[in-house]
Amino acid sequence: MNKLKYLGKRLLMSVPVVWLGASMTWFIIFMGPVDPASRLLSEGQTRNPAAYEAAQIQLGLNQPPLQHYLDWMSNLAVFDLGQTWLLYQGSNVNALILDFLPRTLWLGFWSVLIAVFVGVPLGFYAGMRSNTASDYVASMGGIVWRAMPNFWLAIMLLTVLGSAYTLAAGDFFALNFDWQTIGPNLDSISGSPDLSRLDTVDGFLAATKKVLPAAVVLGSASMGNEMRIGRTAVLEVRNEDYIDLAKAKGVSKRALVWKHILRNALVPLVPIITSEAFLLIGGSVLVETVFGINGIGNLFYQAAIQGDLPLVGTLMYVFILMIVGINLIQDLLYTLIDPRVGLEGS
Amino acid sequence: MSVGPDEEPLLAVRDLEVVFHTEREEIHAVDGVSFDIHEGETVGLVGESGSGKSVTARSILGLVDSPGSIEGGEIGFRGDDLTDDNWERHRGDIAIVFQDPSNSLNPVYTVGNQIKEALRIHQGLRGNEATDAAVGLLEDVGIPDPRRRVEEYPHQLSGGMQQRAVIAMALACDPDLLVCDEPTTALDVTIQAQILDLLADLQREEDLAILFITHDMGVIEDATDRVNVIYAGEIVERAPTGTLFSEPAHPYTEALLRSIPGRTNAAERLPTIEGEVPTPTGRAEDCRFAPRCPYAFAECHEMPPEHVDVGAERSAACLLHEDGSEEAAERTVFDGSEAVSGGDSA
Amino acid sequence: MARAHETTSGTLLPTNSPAAVWAAIGAVLFAAQAGAFFGFVVGVLGDLLTVTPLPGAAFVTAVEAAVEQIPTLLSRDVIPNDGYWNGSRWVGTFLGLRPSLAWGIRAALVYLYAFAFAGWGILGYRLYRREYRTADWTPRDDMVDRFRGHKWGIFGLVVVFMFVVMAVFAPVLGPTTVDENMRNSYSNEITYWDSDAEAVQTTLVGEANLASQSRGDNPERVLPMEYDDFGRFHPFGTLPSGQDLFTFIVSGSRLSLVIGLLSVGLSAGIAASLALVAAYYKGRTDLGLVLASDSVMAMPQLLLLIMLTTVLSGTWLAEIYSGGFVLALIFAGTGWTYMWRSLRGPALQVAERQWIDAAQSFGQRPLTIMRKHMLPYITGYLLIYGSMTLGGAIISIAGLSYLGLGIAPPTPEWGRAINLGQDYVATGSWHISLIPGLLITLVVTGFNALGDGVRDAIDPQSDATTEDGAAGRGGGA
Repeated sequence: MNKLKYLGKRLLMSVPVVWLGASMTWFIIFMGPVDPASRLLSEGQTRNPAAYEAAQIQLGLNQPPLQHYLDWMSNLAVFDLGQTWLLYQGSNVNALILDFLPRTLWLGFWSVLIAVFVGVPLGFYAGMRSNTASDYVASMGGIVWRAMPNFWLAIMLLTVLGSAYTLAAGDFFALNFDWQTIGPNLDSISGSPDLSRLDTVDGFLAATKKVLPAAVVLGSASMGNEMRIGRTAVLEVRNEDYIDLAKAKGVSKRALVWKHILRNALVPLVPIITSEAFLLIGGSVLVETVFGINGIGNLFYQAAIQGDLPLVGTLMYVFILMIVGINLIQDLLYTLIDPRVGLEGS
Repeated sequence: MSVGPDEEPLLAVRDLEVVFHTEREEIHAVDGVSFDIHEGETVGLVGESGSGKSVTARSILGLVDSPGSIEGGEIGFRGDDLTDDNWERHRGDIAIVFQDPSNSLNPVYTVGNQIKEALRIHQGLRGNEATDAAVGLLEDVGIPDPRRRVEEYPHQLSGGMQQRAVIAMALACDPDLLVCDEPTTALDVTIQAQILDLLADLQREEDLAILFITHDMGVIEDATDRVNVIYAGEIVERAPTGTLFSEPAHPYTEALLRSIPGRTNAAERLPTIEGEVPTPTGRAEDCRFAPRCPYAFAECHEMPPEHVDVGAERSAACLLHEDGSEEAAERTVFDGSEAVSGGDSA
Repeated sequence: MARAHETTSGTLLPTNSPAAVWAAIGAVLFAAQAGAFFGFVVGVLGDLLTVTPLPGAAFVTAVEAAVEQIPTLLSRDVIPNDGYWNGSRWVGTFLGLRPSLAWGIRAALVYLYAFAFAGWGILGYRLYRREYRTADWTPRDDMVDRFRGHKWGIFGLVVVFMFVVMAVFAPVLGPTTVDENMRNSYSNEITYWDSDAEAVQTTLVGEANLASQSRGDNPERVLPMEYDDFGRFHPFGTLPSGQDLFTFIVSGSRLSLVIGLLSVGLSAGIAASLALVAAYYKGRTDLGLVLASDSVMAMPQLLLLIMLTTVLSGTWLAEIYSGGFVLALIFAGTGWTYMWRSLRGPALQVAERQWIDAAQSFGQRPLTIMRKHMLPYITGYLLIYGSMTLGGAIISIAGLSYLGLGIAPPTPEWGRAINLGQDYVATGSWHISLIPGLLITLVVTGFNALGDGVRDAIDPQSDATTEDGAAGRGGGA
């Protein structure tokens, strides 16, 4: 009962957050120093008063601001997102998002997976063997990895994967490594993954392989962080009395590590994992740009530099929803993992 | 060496040495500690914070981790030397209860789960059988409504009940020896009395041997049959409880007794022992208490005192009791009544 | 203890006060490079003010010109490296050495000077602590000692220090200057030895650049530690435009540092004030701030940065410091949330302390309570999170300039170098993207290490299970 109440409270708190965020976005876009209408039109057209007025009317800017605000917010709430102006001119924004978003989600999914399933075990490993050589190597690696700018890492990775290598040992054997041909064939190492055939094994593998380098890059920073925190969590839990008592009871080493230590070490990791998810959403812009993936981050960037400000605002709303959604998932996970939650409710 | 009843001791600690290697120094936390525990008796280990009592307790259970390690001596349990990596063989024969009950139970599993874990390992019970046994144990330790409690998480229990649950968990291993490391220090005084009563009952019913570790002389007086006084990693006096309190043989014991509120005249200031417990960074080269001892003389600072029999079943490590010393000729045993007459001495 | 007049260390000079000697040494050191220090301060101010219609702008440019006249010990005039080969020997370089050596000497001397200055500072602190402070020991001493033994923290401090030196002394460290090599390359000439004509020639810097471009595997490309065809030494090689990469980098470092400091400083100021206010008043104020910060955090920081830079581009605000100022403002506006979140815990803890109640009970004003009784306890955390956020800010700035946003081209910035070189990574001009990336990694690692060291020094028990991980990531770059 307590847990449900806690979750309900969090859900309720999300509503004003979304509302505030959307309002701030509206304010920046439509009340900012730049005139969205003139931004949309090309140089020649701005001088044309008829075209300008038409743009204004279409954007709803001829109305008083409050009216415009209410219209805009209500449109967002029912997902009536209108049409685009400059990018893919005239397309339905909803359709555009539905086309682009899955690619970003696919990328994000794999990033989180890699970050969690590589970073956390590495961190646990380092924590269980703390202060040994393997610990230092792993920790140092995590720290440096975390400090690398991900767009730079993306460039480097693309370069490495773009060439073919041969590992040879004299005449005995030669191992050819060409990223493009290992496993499922790719027509090119960059570009958007084809998500239309995910239900087939081949399609799934191909789509995964396409997005894997980008996911590694995007997840790399989080990986370093999760490693570090996982390590700390394990160290702290190891020193607790209840672990000693379990050992004194005669619990097997295996059960001690898996049932007692790791389960408790997971608790502080949950907020970190989900907070990394926010960063993934932001960082996807850079990675998508480098890898040429037409995801929603790339769309946002293109809209921004080309001046399609209304689209920028709409997309920002979508992002806000995603982040708040992730927050709620985090709260849900928290209640599942830690039985103490719901009583104090942070 | 003082010898108890004519039988083999259950636990025979001989010259135990535990050293902690830190970056700056070596700390000889336990430096040549020896004592016995026989079946069914309660032995006390009393000393100030930092005297090495907890480390001794943990070494008996094999819970000393780096940077500490057992570097000398033996811990004989039923003939086996535990320091030969034999702890695993005797898991469950010796159980331990720690000071902070809120930290002694794994927060993410129910109380019942943790008790049943022990039951499964040591008595082979599973399923409903195990649950019933767990409920029975909770009842034995005096927890009301045990059927409900067995499904609850540790944080849902009060401090006193948590400690009872810990004792139940220890009992589930069917131990012969129960080591209690300051089990009541973190609890209210009223709860403290209840827990002490509980332990006394359990000892009678299960023929349990108990090692009671504390800094509280009052508890020692009530709960133990024999006492070992530990100072700076060394046992300085051993005696049956009654005799220790009425006729302390070591100056440190005398000072400890004097500092108990209630034993001095109400009108006078409560005597304290000036100075602090030293942190031993090497093997003993003198009497470690000498700097604070009101009876110290020249030899005290030059050689470490050995244990000397000072009566039936008791011994003390003090040069004042060595045959042949001048001071010994003057006084052999301190009169308990002198201790009460207050304030400054010597 | 009459410490003020009796000191335990003697001095060589006929004064009884080590402090005087120390101060004198400091004065000499400072005077030697006064021109450079003033140049840095005035230069930054000048860049900040150039485009504003504020009356101070012209004044600053005049001061800038005057400052350049101040004789400085380690300057391009005293140790020049841009000479030329006249067939038999080098003319115009320091001691007639090869330009690479001359530059190397100058750069090394600058760093030597900087470390000497730092050493002087440390000596002064130890002197103060030993001789002139009335207290024998303060808690801060423990913290300093712990930091001294923290190898990782010291590493971070050294890296950060070297980065700061690079930024402060940027005009002196490069083999050439931004003005000569980039901004006004067609208004400056260089002299060089033309091996074909076996004679000394002159040409415009711009032309020379055109002939030294690194575009993949072309034969004119200049790799790190090489000379180009005009006798110019390039420690990091050249860009695809032919400009010197090292000068580009050190000039960009100044930008990164200043903007980074500005953003983090502003962020910290906002975060600290809000944290103290929320902790002091608790209740609804705290709730309101949580709501506000959650809303801001609901917008991904990098995307918000993109959105705001786009919206604000073309305004006068975006002209200041090549867009750096508005960037710093946006950073502060979006980044305070992470720092505030991290400071909230310690601030709330301090607010629970009894001396706060005591101060309130005798009527102390809230602002004074916050400043005197609460602030000192969170400054430590400010340092930790500040240094980590700085690292993140540097990455974000680089990320934005990589995308072409934020810092307006052609102003040098590390991210832009990565962008310029990204097509050539697999070719013979691999250095253009690789070097800035490595430098960013190194500097950010340094800042993180520094933060780690400070945190371990202040509170050896604590550890990173809070959200400082998020703070140090620059919102997703």
